Amino acid sequence: MLKASGLTKRYGAHTALDHLDLDVGPGDIYCLLGANGAGKTTTVNLFLNFIAPSEGEASINGIDVTAHPVATKQHVAYIPEMVSLYPTLSGLENLRFFSALATGRELPRERLLELLDQVGLDRAAADQRVRGYSKGMRQKVWIAVALAKEAKALLLDEPTSGLDPHAASEFSALLQQAARHGVAVLTTTHDLFHAQQTATRIGIMKKGRLVESLAGEQIARTDLQALYLQHMRG
Amino acid sequence: MLRRIAAREFLERVRDGRLYWAGGLILALLLTALAVGFAHQRAAQAEQKAAQAMDYQDWLHQDHRHPHDAAHQGMHAFKPEPALSILDPGINPYIGSTIWLQAHRQSEVKFNPAQDATGLQRFGNLSVGWILQVLGPLLIIVLGFNAFAGEREQGILRQTLSLGVEPLRLLGGKALALAGCAGALLLPAALVAGAALAVVAEPGERADTLLRFAFLGLGYAAYLGIWIFVVLGVSAASRTSRVAITVLLALWIAQAVMAPRILSEASRLAHPSATRLAFNQALAADLKATSDRVWLQNFGTTERWGADVPLRQWGIALRLDDQASYPVYDRHFARLWDTWEQQQRLQEWSGLVVPVLSMRAFSMGLAGTDFAHHRDFAVAAEQHRRHIQDLMSADLVKHADPLGDQHFAYQASPELWASVPPFHYHKPRLGWALGRQALSLAVLCLGLVLAAAFAAAAVRRQSAL
Repeated sequence: MLKASGLTKRYGAHTALDHLDLDVGPGDIYCLLGANGAGKTTTVNLFLNFIAPSEGEASINGIDVTAHPVATKQHVAYIPEMVSLYPTLSGLENLRFFSALATGRELPRERLLELLDQVGLDRAAADQRVRGYSKGMRQKVWIAVALAKEAKALLLDEPTSGLDPHAASEFSALLQQAARHGVAVLTTTHDLFHAQQTATRIGIMKKGRLVESLAGEQIARTDLQALYLQHMRG
Repeated sequence: MLRRIAAREFLERVRDGRLYWAGGLILALLLTALAVGFAHQRAAQAEQKAAQAMDYQDWLHQDHRHPHDAAHQGMHAFKPEPALSILDPGINPYIGSTIWLQAHRQSEVKFNPAQDATGLQRFGNLSVGWILQVLGPLLIIVLGFNAFAGEREQGILRQTLSLGVEPLRLLGGKALALAGCAGALLLPAALVAGAALAVVAEPGERADTLLRFAFLGLGYAAYLGIWIFVVLGVSAASRTSRVAITVLLALWIAQAVMAPRILSEASRLAHPSATRLAFNQALAADLKATSDRVWLQNFGTTERWGADVPLRQWGIALRLDDQASYPVYDRHFARLWDTWEQQQRLQEWSGLVVPVLSMRAFSMGLAGTDFAHHRDFAVAAEQHRRHIQDLMSADLVKHADPLGDQHFAYQASPELWASVPPFHYHKPRLGWALGRQALSLAVLCLGLVLAAAFAAAAVRRQSAL
C-alpha cells in the first residue's frame, strides 16, 4: 500500500533521506524511530508529495505520488504532530468542512457526532469553537476526519507527541483498530513504548538511512531501548 | 467543493470580525459618499437649469439694439451635471461648468467648483468612485492577505492539501469568498445607488443612466477581481502572512499614491501639451493670419474696421471674419484636446500594470464626467455660439448693411433674439461612452486574466510546508 523504492531527498550537499526502501501493507503498523533529523518527517512529506524526491519513488496503492499527487491522496489520511484547525469554527464545523473536502460529500450531523464519539471527543465540546481546544482535542477532530475519509493508508508524524498517557493509549487503540480493518499505517515517533505496544513493524533511522528493521515476534523479544541507543551512539 | 470552501472562508471572515469592521467602515463611507454625491448633484443640476433658463430670459428680454452688441452680450452654456456624477464626479470639480458664448471668441470653460472649495478639498473628494478605486483594494487586502500564507503558517494548508484537494479549487473557493465579501458590502450600496440614480436621472435619460450604471458595476467587478487574484497570488507566493501583507501594502501604496502621479508626469512628457500662454499666442497668430488673408482677398486690405471698408460692407465683413475663424479654432482646440486624450490613453494602457488608471478612466467615462464628455459639451456649446453669431451677422447683412453710413443706427427687435433657440445639451448615449472606453475596458479584462493566471501559477507552485 505504501511503498518507497530507493527514495532519496537531498538539500544541496546534505542528504536528508538516503535510498529508503519500505513497503507497508494492509494491516501493518510501521513505526519509524530515530533522532531529530534522521529523515522520518522527510519520508512522510515525500509520501504526501509536499517535497519532491531527488531520486527514487514513493507510491501509494501502486500510484506514483509525484506523477499523481492528487489521486494518491485519495487513498491516504495524514495526521501531523500539531493538528491545526480553523479557530473560528467549532470542532463539529471543522469536521464537517474537512470531511466534506476529503470525501466530496457533506456528512449528516449524526454521522459527524458518531465519528467524534468514536475518537472520544466530548459532545459538549463538539459545538465549541476550537480556539479553546487542547492539542489532544484538536487531534481527535482530525482523527475523525481521517476516519470519515475511510482511507486505505494512514501517515502519521509524531502523533503522540505532547499527548498525555491516557490520550496516547486511546490513540494507540484507534490505530490498532484501523489496522485490524486492513488499513496500512506508517507512523514516525520518538515514543519507544508506544512503538513497541502498537507496531507490527519497526524501523530505526539514522542520518537518512534505515539502519534497523524489526518485525512481528522480534519486536516483543527485543530490548528496543537498548537497540535504539546502540544505534544512536554508534 | 468550491462552494464549501467559499462558504467556510466567508464564515471565517464574518466570525473573525474583519468583514464587520473593515467592511462596515467601507460601507459607511460608501453610503456617506453616495449621500454627499446625491445632494451635490441635485443642487448642481437645479442651479444649472435655473441659470440656463435665466440666461436665456436675459437674452430674450434685450431691448431693441444692434445685433452685434447682442452678439457681444452672447449667452452662456451651463454644463449639466450627469446623474452618475453622484458616483464619480471625475474631472468636473476641476474643469469648470460654464462657457460664455460670446462674439469672435471660442471661450474656455469657467467656474470650476474647486475654485470655491476650502483648503480641506486639497485632501481630495470623497466619492463612491474614489472609495472603490482606492479603498476597495485595501479592503480586499485586509480580507485576503493571509488566505494561503496564514494557513501555511498554521499548518492548515498542509492538512487541507493532504486531503487531496486540488490547489486550483482552493484558489477558486477563496476567490469566490472574497468576491462574496465584497458583494455583501457593495450590493446594498449598489441598490441604494440605483434608486438614487433613478431619482436624479432626467426622464429621457433614465434607461441610459441605469445601463451605464450596470456597465460601471461590471467594470468595478473586473477591477476588484484583479485585486482578489493579486492578493491571493501574493498570499500563495509568500512564506508568511507578514511578508504577504508587506508586499501587498507596498503594491497598494504604489498603485494608489505613487503610480498615478508618476504616470501622469510621464504621459505629459510623452505627449507634451502647450502651455496656456503658448496656446493663446499660437491661436492669436493663426487667427490674425487667417483674418488678414480673408480681408485682403475680399476687401483688398488687412486693416480691419478701417476706412478702406465702407460701412455698408461691415455686416459681410463680420460674417466673413467670424466664419474664417471657425476652422482655426477647430484646428487649435482639436490639437490641444487630442494631446490631452493621448496622455489619457497612455495612462489607460498603464492600467495593465496599475489597474487603477484604467478603472479611473472607465469610471469617469461611464459616469459621463471624463474629458471626452467634457469635449463633447464644449463642441456643442461652440456650435451654439456659431449659430448665434451667424444669425446676428446674417441679420446685419440683411438690415444694417443696406443702411450704408447709418449701419450703426440699425436696431433689431426682440423677434431676432427669439429666433435663437435655447441651449439644450444632451450627453451622448452609452454606446458612444463605451466606444471611447473600449481600451480601458479591454485593459481591465486583460488585467483580470493576467491576475488570475498569476494567482493560479502561484497556487500551483506554492509550498504546503
